[in-house]
Amino acid sequence: MRDPHDIILRPWITEKTMDMKPYKKYVFVVDKNSNKTEIKNAVESIFGVKVEKVNTINMRGKKKRLGIHEGKRPDWKKAIVTLKKDSKAIEFFEAL
Amino acid sequence: MKISLEKIENNTAHLKFEVDEEQFEKAMEQAYRKNVKRFAIPGFRRGKAPRKLIEMHYGPEVFYEDAAEIILPQAYQQGVEEYHLEPVDQPRYDIEQIEKGKPMIAKAEVTVRPEVKLKEYKGLEVEKVVYNVTEEDVEKELAAIQEKNARLVAVEDRPACKGDIAVIDFDGKIDDKPFEGGKAENYPLELGSGAFVDGFEDQVVGMNPGEKKEISVTFPEDYKVESLAGKSAVFSVTLKELKKKELSPLDDEFAKDVSEFDTLEELKNDIRNKLVQRAKAIEEGSLKSSIIDKLMKTTEVDIPHVMIHREIDRLIMDFAINLKMRGYDLKTYMEATKITPEEFRAKFHEKAHVNVKSSLILEEVARREGITVTDEETDAEIKKYADLANKTVEEYKNNLKPEDISGIKDTILTKKIFDFLISNAKITEKKLEDIKNEQEQGNFADEEEHTGSEEAQVQNATNE
Repeated sequence: MRDPHDIILRPWITEKTMDMKPYKKYVFVVDKNSNKTEIKNAVESIFGVKVEKVNTINMRGKKKRLGIHEGKRPDWKKAIVTLKKDSKAIEFFEAL
Repeated sequence: MKISLEKIENNTAHLKFEVDEEQFEKAMEQAYRKNVKRFAIPGFRRGKAPRKLIEMHYGPEVFYEDAAEIILPQAYQQGVEEYHLEPVDQPRYDIEQIEKGKPMIAKAEVTVRPEVKLKEYKGLEVEKVVYNVTEEDVEKELAAIQEKNARLVAVEDRPACKGDIAVIDFDGKIDDKPFEGGKAENYPLELGSGAFVDGFEDQVVGMNPGEKKEISVTFPEDYKVESLAGKSAVFSVTLKELKKKELSPLDDEFAKDVSEFDTLEELKNDIRNKLVQRAKAIEEGSLKSSIIDKLMKTTEVDIPHVMIHREIDRLIMDFAINLKMRGYDLKTYMEATKITPEEFRAKFHEKAHVNVKSSLILEEVARREGITVTDEETDAEIKKYADLANKTVEEYKNNLKPEDISGIKDTILTKKIFDFLISNAKITEKKLEDIKNEQEQGNFADEEEHTGSEEAQVQNATNE
């Protein structure tokens, strides 16, 4: 099995995701090739919490241009992890 | 919060503050609220970023400065009240420990009011200059008015002599070339006034009305127009008219012309009253200044530099305002007099020292005697001003700024202090003439010199 840190890449910290904390929803940038089950297991093993469900969204990389050269940022996957009601919060987020 | 007064020396108080974590945290929170708008963090609109995120991005130090700025003045104020300090300057802060989650430790240094070593201030032996208004003074004043209102009468039957007003046309040439300012028509020139180049007026004397004459003069070497200095010029002068001043006789008619009074007697009385008032003011002024002089000599004060420098600043500001009213500014003044700002300041040093010391002495007297100004007294004074301005007290008061009112209070306080000092002083009266004699003998101490200048004022006043 892959290391959980290779699946959960980094938290996705914005105003919106901060507002989602009270609903026990936490948002991460995850590996593009991971699936919901892998994400669930990874979050549980890294943070020691119980996951209720995982929603994922495939994000398109933005198109960027430098003069006539067109480029594209890589696509990535966003995961919204909902914890079970009786689970403890993710400490890392609560510290923010 | 713990505040301790470490020491007071050289008029400087050293305070130490220990702010506990909780209070420090509160100040940090305030500092964050104040500054959120400045921080842009990706994912957040400006002003919406949480404090912890900002601290993670920029380090917790970002808020230290503002937190200190919030907490120190509060702590300082508390310290001042606790130890009854009388600061005369802004405090300087020195932060010794500032760290999140730990008590903050800081020091403050502030210059406090110096101790005034006031010796005896009751029963001061002072001299009072008494100036009695004599009939002679009134006559002199009257003569001045007469002179001012003199009529000009044309003279035709004699040549010009000194004191006449000659109305002339003149056309001046240097080496047969006209020059600027060398030509005028119908110019009224008072002969003997010295308004023109030396020798010019002398040569007009003796001319008859209607006469033409060539007058040659040499401009002096130090003449203010450089291009003319040292040159010889020839003026062709026509004396068009000759006038002399004629004084009107001193009678009721004259009184009616120059004043709102109907008879000469009334005018004289008015002049006398004014002179008496002026003399009284001068008497009082001299009495006050001799009291201050006495106290200045016996009192020792170690005046902090800040106080003197602030007074110098104030004096320079006054000076600048004065210059402004005459249409100059400080910079041009300094350039014209070729004075450096340092020298300029040094010139005010002594005066500032005297001012600060005397006001410290007066404050000390007020403190020891418990002289204060009540609100009723202030209101009464304001009413006086309001009556002068023909307004109701409320109207007038609304126009006053808080600093105006405190200014009025200060004036009353100073007056009360002087009243106290004067009523407790041993006053010996001294005639103005005696001082004059002493001055002529040339043996006068500082005090007499002072009253001497007062005397000059008396003379100026009567000559007006």
